[in-house]
Amino acid sequence: MGDKEVDQQLVERVQRGDKHAFDLLVAKYQRKLGRLISRFVRNASEAEDVTQEAFVKAYRALPGFRGDSAFYTWLYRIGINTAKNYLLANKRQPPVSTPFDTEEAESFEEAGLLHEVSTPENELMSKQVVNTVQQALQQLPEDLRSALTLREIEGLSYEEIASVMNCPVGTVRSRIFRAREAVAEKLRPLLETSQGNRW
Amino acid sequence: MKHEISALMDGELFEDEADSLLGQIRRTPDAYSDWAIYHLIGDVLRQPDSIHRDLTARVSECLRNEATVLAPRSRALKQRARVFALSAAASLMGVGMVAWMTLQINPETSPQLAMQQSGMRPVNLQIQPAANDYLMAHQEFSPSNDMNGGASYIHTVTYSPEEKSQ
Repeated sequence: MGDKEVDQQLVERVQRGDKHAFDLLVAKYQRKLGRLISRFVRNASEAEDVTQEAFVKAYRALPGFRGDSAFYTWLYRIGINTAKNYLLANKRQPPVSTPFDTEEAESFEEAGLLHEVSTPENELMSKQVVNTVQQALQQLPEDLRSALTLREIEGLSYEEIASVMNCPVGTVRSRIFRAREAVAEKLRPLLETSQGNRW
Repeated sequence: MKHEISALMDGELFEDEADSLLGQIRRTPDAYSDWAIYHLIGDVLRQPDSIHRDLTARVSECLRNEATVLAPRSRALKQRARVFALSAAASLMGVGMVAWMTLQINPETSPQLAMQQSGMRPVNLQIQPAANDYLMAHQEFSPSNDMNGGASYIHTVTYSPEEKSQ
């Protein structure tokens, strides 16, 4: 089952009354949605508030979500509308003159703007997280690093990675897991020190 | 479980495995933490310039006072059932069409029908032993032969007691 089907299963769990299943969707999409919203709302703190508001609106609207589109497409529409409404309520104009449709949202690859007006602590923590991940990645054996990079950056499926790396699919699955876990081990101590200010 | 979480994130588990694992992740704090941290790693690799604080706790806090969502079964499920029903109907139609076409072009049925219509009667032929070679060479072209391809390997032999006595 693909990524969209996993989202659909989580959505159905929420629709059956399982609130905690929504946390998994928030954990998955918060940075993607935050990056999108930061294109409209430049202040980092405000962008976080709008992202949070968008998730709450999505939760409230979830009974009406019928699965006609992918969950993230639907969520991004809510995010864009929330950001635009926020700017209008604060008598500010959205920064884009052309309509910002969902396709554009999905392929939006510009640098995030959350740091434009970010606190020094957040800025520092963000850099530490990024540096830790990048250093841990560089320290990985070549086969693990390639497998993780092909999956996370290139977006290849396990079958495609197996074909590129000329190895069985089971080996790809194992390499990606070992790579993730090796990076996570380096990251956990850093995240645990920021209690109450989770990353 | 970490190994399965990693595969689940990549959409590489079967539906029943995924459903069971999602249930475990939401119930187990350590598993949830792995889910969150693996996603953070992916986001850092894809978008290193847009990493911000984790909002799940804040969102969860906001949702604490929200009414629990209870929605009817989604249309996606109904659509899945409809797609299955349509697929089954299409398969049945396909099988029926092939069966009908087979009956239409079956070479054995045509001569029988022709014989009935014109009042012809089957003729009892005595095959001469001398014709064996000819029949064997042309056996695969016989309309009554259903074993196309294999027919050329079947050798027809006739036996006559008179020939034996000579």
